[in-house]
Amino acid sequence: MSAQQLAAPPPPVEGFWLGTRRSFQTMIRKNGFGLIALVLLALVILGPLYSVVLWAFAERWQYPSLIPQVFGLSFWERTFARADIAEALPFSIVLAATVTLISAVICLPASYAFARMKFRGRQLLLLSFLATNAFPRFGLYISIAVIFFRLNLIGTIPGVILIQLVNTLLLMIWIPTAAFQGVDRSLEEAALDVGASPLRVFVQITLPMVMPALSAALLLTFVNTFYEAQGALVVGLPRIVTMPVLMYSLINSQLIVQYGAIVSLVLWAPSLILLILAQRLLRGGYLTAGFGV
Amino acid sequence: MTAAAPSQSSPSWRKGIIAYLMVAPPLLLMILLIFIPALQSTARTLTIDVNGAPGFSISRYTAFFQDPISVSNLFFTFQVTLITLAAIFILCFPLAIYLRFANGKLAGAVQVLALFPLFVPGIILAYALIRFLGTRGTLDNVLSIIGFTGYRTPYLKPDAIIFGLVWESIPFTVLVLTAGLRQISDSLIESARDVGANSWQIFWRIILPQIARPVLIVFSLNFLGIFGSYTIPYLLGPAAPQMMGVFMQQTFGQYRRPDDAETQAVITFIICAFIGFLYVRTVANQRKREDSE
Repeated sequence: MSAQQLAAPPPPVEGFWLGTRRSFQTMIRKNGFGLIALVLLALVILGPLYSVVLWAFAERWQYPSLIPQVFGLSFWERTFARADIAEALPFSIVLAATVTLISAVICLPASYAFARMKFRGRQLLLLSFLATNAFPRFGLYISIAVIFFRLNLIGTIPGVILIQLVNTLLLMIWIPTAAFQGVDRSLEEAALDVGASPLRVFVQITLPMVMPALSAALLLTFVNTFYEAQGALVVGLPRIVTMPVLMYSLINSQLIVQYGAIVSLVLWAPSLILLILAQRLLRGGYLTAGFGV
Repeated sequence: MTAAAPSQSSPSWRKGIIAYLMVAPPLLLMILLIFIPALQSTARTLTIDVNGAPGFSISRYTAFFQDPISVSNLFFTFQVTLITLAAIFILCFPLAIYLRFANGKLAGAVQVLALFPLFVPGIILAYALIRFLGTRGTLDNVLSIIGFTGYRTPYLKPDAIIFGLVWESIPFTVLVLTAGLRQISDSLIESARDVGANSWQIFWRIILPQIARPVLIVFSLNFLGIFGSYTIPYLLGPAAPQMMGVFMQQTFGQYRRPDDAETQAVITFIICAFIGFLYVRTVANQRKREDSE
């Protein structure tokens, strides 16, 4: 730096820089932990997803480039032209919908009873559903599979439906039970007083009030079941192959990276719906309801 | 507590029966698919065929514990579970405390990132982590661009299992711990500070005792989740030693030895029985307290 420059009055830009630097320093001092946490989490949480997304749209990607050399969609066509994927995807959606529906039919009347009726052992029976979480999951699946093996339920659709239903019980009972308990009874009583039939009161007053919770329970059950891979793997193979089960073999035995990446992105769609609704689900406490908390 | 309105038309015992009929289907399903398999497996592993009649024997267990591969797999499962649990607490405790006491956009962003893994299914995570941690994966790539060339991938090593399991557990752990921390009032902490307590004392004497329950829930559910895991250790871990989930599936699915798989499953039940009990009891107590409030 020349003497002339040093002698000149500092340009306003430098004053601005000094100010921002100082405020940056105080920001680090005040928010140090938050900033470190943000950067580390961003690297660790988002880092793994980076290459999945890019691989799905890559035609050619050779090491050590950070981005693919050629982008393109040709692998999408090839992925969905595969017979196993074209078969497993619709099957998985129908299966998850079926399990959700059966779960609702079985659990919703029970949750109404738990919330609104008085009977001996009510609290204990409600808590007993925590047992679905209290086992090491894979051990339980093996134990169920051994029984199914003797009942010839291995590799059958009923077998897969049954094992997947186990995971839905807690959520499908606890969320609606809490919702039915939370309904303001005075509205129902008022309607009954003016002569509405109990059925009409239920459909027109009770149901709309519990609808947000019920739809959350249905949605979460559907998504969880759609991604359920382990039970379906133990009981379903070799004849029943759901999309997540297919992912195991795509990961283990495929040389073409794009297949796994594209299937991952497609499979991620139901989670995206949850992500969009995340704030509402979180506020209702629904996201952790499956754990019993 | 909701009290059922006494109905004029039907006596209370009749209502009780209707209630039991309504809660029966999910209860039966749970008994059929959880309690009976678990009990039956336990009984079968203790039974031996003596000239056509069943007799008591622990020979299946002695066989398990005499087999060096089985023992090393069990030991390995323990090791991974304990290290993963420690890592989860070391990471999530500071995060939860930060999220409890910080406000503003930065804290919001940290929370979004910490909860993001809730929306990434295990099977997709496994694929993403192979691309991220593997040789010539994103991490390797970035490090070599910075000039660090000695990257040795944790893929197919225990470290990758731990990384994946921690990744999956962050949202649930942070959510439950943060919710527990929110129960502690600001005024309590301020008054402790007023009488001269430092941050460490506040953590040990005030925060920790108050969130004993959330900590127990997080500990027990993560323990069960890790001990009973399959997808992450199968896809990211070494071929030997294996975690119990992978070992059981191999014994059942590949080697077609359901009896041995059953013994392995029951051993995981026995080890997790106390933790499962702890989980159910803690959640039950928590709910009782919430109900009485």
